[in-house]
Amino acid sequence: MRTTDAPMTKVLPLLAALALTAAQYAIWRYAPVEATMGLVQKIFYYHLPMSWWAMVSFFIVFAASIAYLVKRDPRWDRLAGAAAEIGVLLATLALVTGSLWARPIWNTWWTWDPRLTTTLIMWFVYAAYLLLRSAEAGGARGPTVRAVLGVVAFLDVPLVFYSARMWRSVHPAVFGAKGGGLEPEMWTTVLVSVSAFGLLWLWMLLARVAQLSQAQRLDALMVWDEEDR
Amino acid sequence: MLRPTLTLARKDLKLMASGGQGLIQAALLGLLLIFVFSLSRPAGEVVPAQGAAAIFWLASAFGQVLVFNGLYSLEELTGARLGLLLSPAPRHALWLGKALAGFFLLLACQVLFAPAVVVFLGQDILDWPTWGLTVLVVDWGLVALGSLLGALAQGQAARESLLTVILFPLLLPLLLSAIKLTAGVFSGQAPEGYEQWLGMALAFDALFSGAAIFLFPFVYGGEE
Amino acid sequence: MTPPLAHTMALQLKRAGKFFGARPVFKNITCDLPAGQVLLVVGRNGAGKSTLLKAMAGLTPLSLGAVERHVPLERTAYLGHNTFLYHRLTALENLAFWAGMYGLSPSKDELLETLTRVGLARAAYEQAGIFSRGMAQRLTLARVLLVRPDLLFLDEPGTGLDTASLAVLHREIAQARERGALVVWVSHQISEDLARADLVLSLSGGATGSTSGQGWSFGPASAYVPEASC
Repeated sequence: MRTTDAPMTKVLPLLAALALTAAQYAIWRYAPVEATMGLVQKIFYYHLPMSWWAMVSFFIVFAASIAYLVKRDPRWDRLAGAAAEIGVLLATLALVTGSLWARPIWNTWWTWDPRLTTTLIMWFVYAAYLLLRSAEAGGARGPTVRAVLGVVAFLDVPLVFYSARMWRSVHPAVFGAKGGGLEPEMWTTVLVSVSAFGLLWLWMLLARVAQLSQAQRLDALMVWDEEDR
Repeated sequence: MLRPTLTLARKDLKLMASGGQGLIQAALLGLLLIFVFSLSRPAGEVVPAQGAAAIFWLASAFGQVLVFNGLYSLEELTGARLGLLLSPAPRHALWLGKALAGFFLLLACQVLFAPAVVVFLGQDILDWPTWGLTVLVVDWGLVALGSLLGALAQGQAARESLLTVILFPLLLPLLLSAIKLTAGVFSGQAPEGYEQWLGMALAFDALFSGAAIFLFPFVYGGEE
Repeated sequence: MTPPLAHTMALQLKRAGKFFGARPVFKNITCDLPAGQVLLVVGRNGAGKSTLLKAMAGLTPLSLGAVERHVPLERTAYLGHNTFLYHRLTALENLAFWAGMYGLSPSKDELLETLTRVGLARAAYEQAGIFSRGMAQRLTLARVLLVRPDLLFLDEPGTGLDTASLAVLHREIAQARERGALVVWVSHQISEDLARADLVLSLSGGATGSTSGQGWSFGPASAYVPEASC
């Protein structure tokens, strides 16, 4: 089984690098400076793609977990693992950038915003998921245990989102309308940035999956070496 | 399906009542939590209803983890898990049996927690019908997910501490509903969006009961 | 309901294989096991005997191939190192619990009779936690008898038993066989147990140097020549 897909791993990073450069240009040169928020608003162009792709990562964990439970193919387990790692990384960055943005704009580091809360809760769940992975909990049953968790965690997302929103609605709102109307150039920049991060995300995911399957093959070889002695 | 479910639940309740460590541990830890939180209450002031409700449900959530840990470890000592899996009882019956036993054990703990909240946190239960409804609906959600994830702890798959880290964030929607509804019980005023919060708890119950029925056969297996 | 006839298939393995990660425990095992036979599963430590037994019982999924059981779970029983007993329940309560899980509702007299059969009548109201290894294993045997299995899995059931308990065990294995049950028996005492078996499945594990070159062999007990190892 070939585990590295040469064209993908060579072409993708190149494309991602080009797209990210273009995104930088769009963010700093092309998009106008927002009237009320000023330069700080530019964080938005990083924050949005990060939280967006983090959620996509968690969805991949969910889908791969179901696939693992149905097919029992360890490749799905590795895909779920890789997606969870990248998802937690992006969610961390999204939370940090969100917090940095909230400080000057909403005058607080943290607010009971349903999106932020959902991201934080998901961050907790998937961080625990990774902990379970690195502890190799469950031995032979480990992949199954993780897959079940991958499914349960994602089912919870809508409930977390709605309960967070209901909770806030009874509290005084800390802030007014979010963002306001975006100008067309801003929308273009958002799209460019999301796509650029998407390419980076895809490359990282594929590279990590390839890495994990190499590690698996190495493990298998080591077992055989021990047996030959 | 009902017969093995009840047989299992009855056996578990008998074993837990005759000195199962999970139950006593759960009750003690919960009482301790409520007492420790009562120390944070400034002299002469009452704990807000919502705060007291949060403490009550936190104690229940911790209790639930310990209860299910105890329930599933009953099957590990002499490998009885293999026997259960080999029996013709459908695996859902095992989940339901454990959930049912956990439900009654959790209620038993809460019979102690409720007066503790009244005494230590200075609350009054003013709305008995809502209180009863809340406890039943929320407890079912707790045990539905608890019985599924508690099975993960079998055979050292995950230590309880790790399980707590996973379980608590997942329980958040249910706990928020529980806190809102219970705060209403303590303050005597129905919370804003009463039906929605009850609906949220019911949705949680339904979603995770369904998920558990689908997923439990994968979780509870013969491997070590 | 007709009783299982001799030579109807009780269990079939079809190219069964099991891997732990990338390491094969056994692979490509194909054999037909008729009812009314005793199959001895032999092999050195770590050859995968217990794993094969678990796979046959459906406790662990196979990586490859299939196992087909033609006996319903209600008539399948397992007796291994694990006693499945709850220490804080009495012998009688333990037995009643497992009967309930199998959908049976025996009367108290029937339960006591089963306990008498394995020589535990006087310990019926004692908690299982105080039982010696031999007594616990006898109680386990009583649990198996209650089911009247047509498919019986034994994983080194003789370990730690005294002569009297061993005699009870051997008596019940012979009776199950006569009744038309398939007994799948993992054993270390090949020299002793071979005489009680009809068929032998020998596993040599994934290691090199196996006699048949495929890691396992299957045939009538009369034709089995024990290997020099262990």
